[in-house]
Amino acid sequence: MGTEERDRGLKAQRMSVYRRILLEIEKEVQIHPNYADLQNQLGLLLAVRGDPEGAESHFLEALHLNPRYRESILNLGYLYIEMNRWKEAEDIFVSQVRKHPKDGFLRHVLGVFYFQAGNRNKAASHLRKAIQFHGYCRDYYQKIGVWKRGRVHFDQKAEKALKKIRLNYHTAQFHNFIGLYLAREGKPAQALRELKKAARLKPDEFVFHANLGTLYYHQGSYRKAIEGYQRALKMDPLYGMGYANLSYIYGLMRRTREALRCMERAVHLSPRYADLHYNLALLYSDRKRYGRAVSELKKALRINPNYLFARINLGVLYEDQKRWKEARREYRKVLQITPEDEHVRRRLERISRRRG
Amino acid sequence: MLKDDFVIQSEVRRVLVRSHIEYAKLTFGTVKGVVYIQGIFEVSRYYTDGSSESMIDFSMKTLVSLEKKIRGIPGVIDVSFKFLNWKKEKGQWVPRKEIEG
Repeated sequence: MGTEERDRGLKAQRMSVYRRILLEIEKEVQIHPNYADLQNQLGLLLAVRGDPEGAESHFLEALHLNPRYRESILNLGYLYIEMNRWKEAEDIFVSQVRKHPKDGFLRHVLGVFYFQAGNRNKAASHLRKAIQFHGYCRDYYQKIGVWKRGRVHFDQKAEKALKKIRLNYHTAQFHNFIGLYLAREGKPAQALRELKKAARLKPDEFVFHANLGTLYYHQGSYRKAIEGYQRALKMDPLYGMGYANLSYIYGLMRRTREALRCMERAVHLSPRYADLHYNLALLYSDRKRYGRAVSELKKALRINPNYLFARINLGVLYEDQKRWKEARREYRKVLQITPEDEHVRRRLERISRRRG
Repeated sequence: MLKDDFVIQSEVRRVLVRSHIEYAKLTFGTVKGVVYIQGIFEVSRYYTDGSSESMIDFSMKTLVSLEKKIRGIPGVIDVSFKFLNWKKEKGQWVPRKEIEG
C-alpha cells in the first residue's frame, strides 16, 4: 500500500470516528436536552462540520441552560466572528472582559478580534494588556512577530499569524473534545493523536496541554506527563490541580521532595479541596513533620467532617507523638462510623491502657 | 519495609485511574501501609454479551484484579474495601442486593 493510499485510509477512518461521535452526541442531546455540556459539545461538532446555524442554536441553548458557561460563550463569540457577525461577537467578548478585566486570555481574544475587524488601535491596546496579565502571551507574540522591542507590531508576518489564530479556535476545541471522548472510550493512541492536534493548532491553550499531561499520566509516560503539566502551568500559573497532578507523578517517581513542593503550591492555589490537604498531610507525615501534618488533616476535616481516612491518619499521628488521649478520641470517632474497622479497633485497644 | 504513605497513595491512584472503573465515585486513603477504599464500585466499560449475569461476573473479576494489583504495591500491608454496592463474603465478592435496585 502506498503512502497516499494509507493516508487516505487513515483520513477515512478518522472521518468515520467523527461521524460516529456526532451521531452519539446527537442521540445524547435528544435524551438529555437540559444538559448544557451536551448542547455545547453538539454546537462545536456542528460548527466544525460547517453548519454554523445549527451550531449557533445549540450554543444558545447551552447558554439558556447555564448563562455563565464560559466555554459556550467563547464558542459562540468565535462562531459570530466566523459568520462575520462582528457586532454580536464584539458584544460577547467586551462583556466578558468587563467581568474579568485581568483575564489575559480574553484580552488576547479581543485583541485578535479587533485586529480582524480592522481596528488596530484597540487591537494593540488589548494585546498589550494580554501581555500584562498573561505571561505566556509575551513569548508567543514575540514568536509570531507581533511583539518587538517592547511594542505591538502589525506587519505581514503578524497579520498572517493572527488570522490563523482565529481560524484555528473551533478546530482545536473540536480535536480536544474528540481526544477526551476517545480517552474515555479507552482508546489512548487515537486520543493522543487528537489532543496533540489540538495543542499544535492552538499552542497557547493551557487546557490542551493539561489534557495531554493527564493522558500521558494515565498511560504511565511520566516524563511526558510532567512536560504537559509544566507547559500548562507556564500558561496558567494559577492552575492548582496541575500542581496536584504533578505532585502525584513525582510521588510515583519517588521524587517526594518535588512532590511536596508541588502539593504545597496546589493547596495554596486550591485551599478548598480536602483531598489536597490530605495528600499534603501524608507528605509531611512521611517526613515526620507532625505539627504540619496534623494541621493539614484538621483543615481537611473542617472542609469534610466525614473524611474517614483523614481522621484515622490524625489518630495515628497523635499516637506517634504519644498524645494518647487525642488518639483515643479520634479512633473512637472512626469506630462510631465504621465499627468493623479491625485496624483502628486494634490500635485503640493497644493504647487504651496508656495514660495521658 | 515500610514505604512512604504518599508514594503508596500515588500508586493506588495510578491503579484506579488505569483500571476501567468509575474512579470519581471512590475515595481512598493510606494509613501506615493500610489502604482504605470506599464508595460505589462501578466498572466504566464492560466487555460482555450485555446480560446481567455476565456483567456481574465481569465486575467480580475486575474487583479480584483490582485487589490483587493494590496488594501488589510495595509497602502495602493490607487493603480495606468499603463499597456501598459490593461486599466480600468468605473470600468472594458479592453484590449488595439492597443497593443494586
